[in-house]
Amino acid sequence: MQRKYLSLISVMLVLTFLYSCQDKEYSVPLGKTGLNNDCIKRTLGPNIVGSNIEFAYAMALPATEGKITSAQVTASIAGATGTYLENRSFYTNSSGVDVPITVGSPSVTTDVKTMVTFTKDTCAATLRYFYTIPEAARGKTVTFTFSATATNGQTVTYQMGPYPIVKMDMKLDLVATDNKLMYLSIADLALYDAPTAAASPTKIDLVYLYRNIAGITFTHALVSPAASPDYLPGVTLPTGLTNSTKMSKTWALNDQNLARLQYGVYIDDVDFTAVDFTNAPNYVINLKAQAGAWIETADGKYRAYIYVNAVNNTAPSMTISIKRYTMK
Amino acid sequence: MKKYFVTILALFLVTFTWVRCAKNLPVDSDGLLITTRAQCYVSNFELLGADFQTVRTAAAVIDTTAQTINAVVMYGTDLKNLYPQFSLVSDAKLDPKITGKVDFSDLANPKKWTVVAGNRIVKKTYTVYITVQPKP
Repeated sequence: MQRKYLSLISVMLVLTFLYSCQDKEYSVPLGKTGLNNDCIKRTLGPNIVGSNIEFAYAMALPATEGKITSAQVTASIAGATGTYLENRSFYTNSSGVDVPITVGSPSVTTDVKTMVTFTKDTCAATLRYFYTIPEAARGKTVTFTFSATATNGQTVTYQMGPYPIVKMDMKLDLVATDNKLMYLSIADLALYDAPTAAASPTKIDLVYLYRNIAGITFTHALVSPAASPDYLPGVTLPTGLTNSTKMSKTWALNDQNLARLQYGVYIDDVDFTAVDFTNAPNYVINLKAQAGAWIETADGKYRAYIYVNAVNNTAPSMTISIKRYTMK
Repeated sequence: MKKYFVTILALFLVTFTWVRCAKNLPVDSDGLLITTRAQCYVSNFELLGADFQTVRTAAAVIDTTAQTINAVVMYGTDLKNLYPQFSLVSDAKLDPKITGKVDFSDLANPKKWTVVAGNRIVKKTYTVYITVQPKP
């Protein structure tokens, strides 16, 4: 009885192996017919007013079925000036360089719609779409409908989004210079000299200075006007500067938008609300490139992150970039 | 068949009793192992600013006899927002625990931490003295 069962199992095993080892017939896969499309979002990080959201929109149909006649994008909120759909299709050559080929006339934007009419006999193209985020979209979400039409009468569409547009503002590459453009206004996201600062003293949140003091490391500093005079050596403040700005020093928080370095780190709206300014000082000294500071203005209206892009000890100056979030 | 069953059952019972009777390793209220080690000292001390960079101007001086730690910090250091870090002898722990920023601004009343040895019997309280680099 036992032997009988063993024989049966052996036969089944052999059959299983035989079946498993059989070669499957290969056939060349057939391409899709008709007009097809696809889309990817190329930009990462928070969508900030004034910056671009970039997409790559691909469309194709078999050459035997016709050619593409037009491509268009409809945004839920009209883009700001600078919004356009590329009229060139790109391919990447063997050196990794994106090479453009013009396929249509320059895009025409009418309110929320941006359109490219094809002028070349083409059945496949990838067009890039750059949406410049308008002020009207701040704090809202935006969606996009990509569509393409072909000579065979087909139309395809592709939905992208919704994408939230952050509330924050951004200002890049402000150059603070010691004894000149040294008064920083977070409300204006600008640096002023002493006479201008004196004209609107309540707007001045921080003073930039550089001091090379033997025995201590002071160097580049951002100091509130109301901070101890010990941290403003040799500075005569214009009349009326009284703000005390809370600060929290950071190191190597290399936000991609501000630093534009290789790091994929992004400061988003929620990060501003998470910072704890309890017992925070009103000055930071010894700042270097890649350092930074979270700050909160004296009236609590703004929170910001100041990133130090570069410092110059010879002609004392500091290049800073700022992300600012309105709290109230 | 019955003989096999009885043998297996007996073996199982012996194993079960042996495991149950094994002495549990002692742990403290933090779930940390209590050992026989009686050494109780701080081997290194670090002080980080809000940016998690050191604020010391030189290595902290640790006196294991006087149970003091003296650290000189840079001019302008924000003493209210510092992260102290202690390196302790093996198996020891610190009381109170450091869970975040520590305010060292009251220089007249230096902060104290107790090192508890691995045996949880020997305890030594260290006083941390901070000196700010003077303005030249």
